[in-house]
Amino acid sequence: MNAPAATQHRAFSPSRIAAIASNTLLELIRLKVFYFLLIFALLIIGCSFFLVNLSFQEQFQVLKDVSLGAMSIFTWLLAVLATAMLLPKDIEDRTLYTILAKPVPRLEYLLGKLLGVLALLFVAISLMSVMFVLVLYIREQAAIHVATRSMAPAELAGEIASIRASTFTVSLIPCIVIIYLKAALCGALTLLLSTFASSSIFTIIVSVVVYLIGHVQPIAREYWLATNDAGAGTKIFLALISLIFPDLTAFNLVDDVVAGNAIALGLFLKTAALGVTYIVVYYLAAYFAFSAKEL
Amino acid sequence: MKRRLLVLFVALLAFGAVKVPYEEHLERVHRAAFFHGAKLDLGLREQIGQLGFLAALSGFRSLVADALYIHAHAAWERTEWGRMKLDFDAVTALQPRCVLFWDQAAWHMAFNASIAARDNPKQPREALRIRDQRQYWKLGEDYLLRGIANNPERPLLYDRLGFLYREKFKDHCKSAAIYAECAKLPGAPQYAHRFAAYELAQCPGHEREAYELLLALFHKGEDERLPTLLRILGELQEKLNVPPERKVDTRAPSHP
Amino acid sequence: MSTPAISIENLTKEFPIPFKRERVTAVRDLSLRVEPGQVYGLLGPNGSGKSTTMKIVLGLVSPTRGRTEIFGRDSTRVESREDVGFLPENPYFYKFLTGAETLHFFGKLCGLSGKKLRDRTKELLALVRLEDAAHRRIGGYSKGMLQRIGLAQAMIQEPRLLVLDEPTAGVDPAGSREIRDLILDFKKRGITVLLCSHLLGQVQEICDRIGILHQGLLVREGRLDELISIENQTELILENASPELLADLQAAVAKSTARVVEQRRPQTTLERYFLEVTSDEKKVKGDP
Repeated sequence: MNAPAATQHRAFSPSRIAAIASNTLLELIRLKVFYFLLIFALLIIGCSFFLVNLSFQEQFQVLKDVSLGAMSIFTWLLAVLATAMLLPKDIEDRTLYTILAKPVPRLEYLLGKLLGVLALLFVAISLMSVMFVLVLYIREQAAIHVATRSMAPAELAGEIASIRASTFTVSLIPCIVIIYLKAALCGALTLLLSTFASSSIFTIIVSVVVYLIGHVQPIAREYWLATNDAGAGTKIFLALISLIFPDLTAFNLVDDVVAGNAIALGLFLKTAALGVTYIVVYYLAAYFAFSAKEL
Repeated sequence: MKRRLLVLFVALLAFGAVKVPYEEHLERVHRAAFFHGAKLDLGLREQIGQLGFLAALSGFRSLVADALYIHAHAAWERTEWGRMKLDFDAVTALQPRCVLFWDQAAWHMAFNASIAARDNPKQPREALRIRDQRQYWKLGEDYLLRGIANNPERPLLYDRLGFLYREKFKDHCKSAAIYAECAKLPGAPQYAHRFAAYELAQCPGHEREAYELLLALFHKGEDERLPTLLRILGELQEKLNVPPERKVDTRAPSHP
Repeated sequence: MSTPAISIENLTKEFPIPFKRERVTAVRDLSLRVEPGQVYGLLGPNGSGKSTTMKIVLGLVSPTRGRTEIFGRDSTRVESREDVGFLPENPYFYKFLTGAETLHFFGKLCGLSGKKLRDRTKELLALVRLEDAAHRRIGGYSKGMLQRIGLAQAMIQEPRLLVLDEPTAGVDPAGSREIRDLILDFKKRGITVLLCSHLLGQVQEICDRIGILHQGLLVREGRLDELISIENQTELILENASPELLADLQAAVAKSTARVVEQRRPQTTLERYFLEVTSDEKKVKGDP
């Protein structure tokens, strides 16, 4: 009997990447990830009950701050923890060998993994956003109800408009997108670290350190670039911090959006562009390290 | 592999050289749109402690501000004015773009603490009580001025400041100026124009100017011909000896 | 001469030891060829360089010196893996997938899709006799089932070459027999098989050629029957031989230069005996 014939190879295959990405998403969704979401939901709802002594404006402010703050931290945590164990797990279980023994370029494997994480973050943030909007809407309706019962008709329209303005602002949407990009950026960075780190714990710890330093990077940058009489050693140290670490405060728009700032399209696009650039750069760096990794 | 990591490190530094200017540019864009205006300095760190400072740095500035605001609220309920002021200083430093905080801080100072100071049973000398009351008014004014500096495009704080000058300081000239500023902003309340004119009418030397403004508003339409406007317009007509043929009818319209 | 399925030329692999100057040489100047259609056994004690050689052939590790090719395509290039199916030692698959989903996943990685993939999956599940377990999670599979789904996965894109690392390790005799039968079936289809195993008795049964590695060097290589046949002996198996015939034969041998080394009853293997006994039991209990 004749042996099977030789097969043609496709250099770049979106379906291969999609297969790995969807498999990764499935794997991650089965983690305790949804417990995180549960905690978040409880946080938002629980938050409402402690605010009875404040005016509705103050209540909405705190509700939004807590919800968006929780969204920020949970998506970041999710990104780091999920990504940190992706590669080590595949290596330990040897599934990596089985996959790379197929005609799958390492580039596509890594991209599939990253896209799986990004998909997970998207699912998480979407669910959280839905819960957030729902709770906000319920509280808004409650406030309107109270106002309707206690206010004169002449002032009611103004009051309702005021209530509505304190709850939903259009800028909440780009704000949430930026939260997503910040978490995605941290995920890509964690992926890079995991390609050469010796263990998941190490990857996670370094990721957390980078997160903290990333929030003081602008301060370091300011000191480095400003003319002052800091010594050469200090200047070099500050320069290294500024160059190596990402400026994560650039993605902190939540505080001011909740205070009432609007996000103009130009500002949003510029901030988003920075986030996307970081993700791409970290991914390419991860590929560069991974392609030489001895398995 | 080690060589690769070294190359990677150098590449990241090179990327850093490209990204830093962009980050600088983005920061300027953000600040121009009033983002990241909070001053997180050592003074604040003293105020809110290490954990709070860390949280504020990590992007939870608004949460820390909210927590402190609730703390300030509790201090007010216990009439601990000193504590309340410290908290409000921190809250407004953390969230300078939240007009609510400036407004509340000013109101507590100028309208609550000031009255408590005036009626302070522990202070027997009236002169000192009045002096303390004025101090609190000034603190309120200070909050509103700083709030306006951080939120120049929002009418609320101008409105509050105009009210403060009118009610407490009885400085109608300043009040008029502030209301006039307020009226120019998008989203300003309807009454801002009118109040500017009313106050101007009570500012010595500016009666004629006020008269012109009120006349213009009168001619604008029915909506502006409110009782107060009509009354003040009538008074000014008398005061300025406007010739009868130029006078307008300022009697209140009779409602069926 | 047709393109060899696997061609290894002067392969050397050195690993650096962390914090030390010297390096470990896992494979030393190895050269061998596996012709298409053969079942080749790569043997050697632990640490002999078998796994390393296999990984280099599969492109998972890069050589320090030398070159390996699969059907003429350099192993360091991704295309070379279009023709290969690999079953690693102690394979783990994603526990949350079912058997069928696992095959689907690997099929997609090989560029299969749609009806073709579904048909192929069904075909392979039938081949490795896992149709009934196809919709059970891999997490619930026994060792033998894992090996079989592993084989199915290796075959998903109809490769011309199979590389199997310890395919029967830890598997019970019945399962082991099935796997070996499958390998022989592949051979009949013209698929080349590179096999690594410690179970020498099983290797002996199915391999055509073997190579023995020791401390990174290829110490012996060649056709199995040639290597292990005892040159100067002959085995003659008789049925229904009478004692007189046996006596005559002994006498004839005594007259020549040859000698009788041993006269005994041939034995069936313990494995065959075991399988006979246990499969009868299975029939009694009514299991499939």
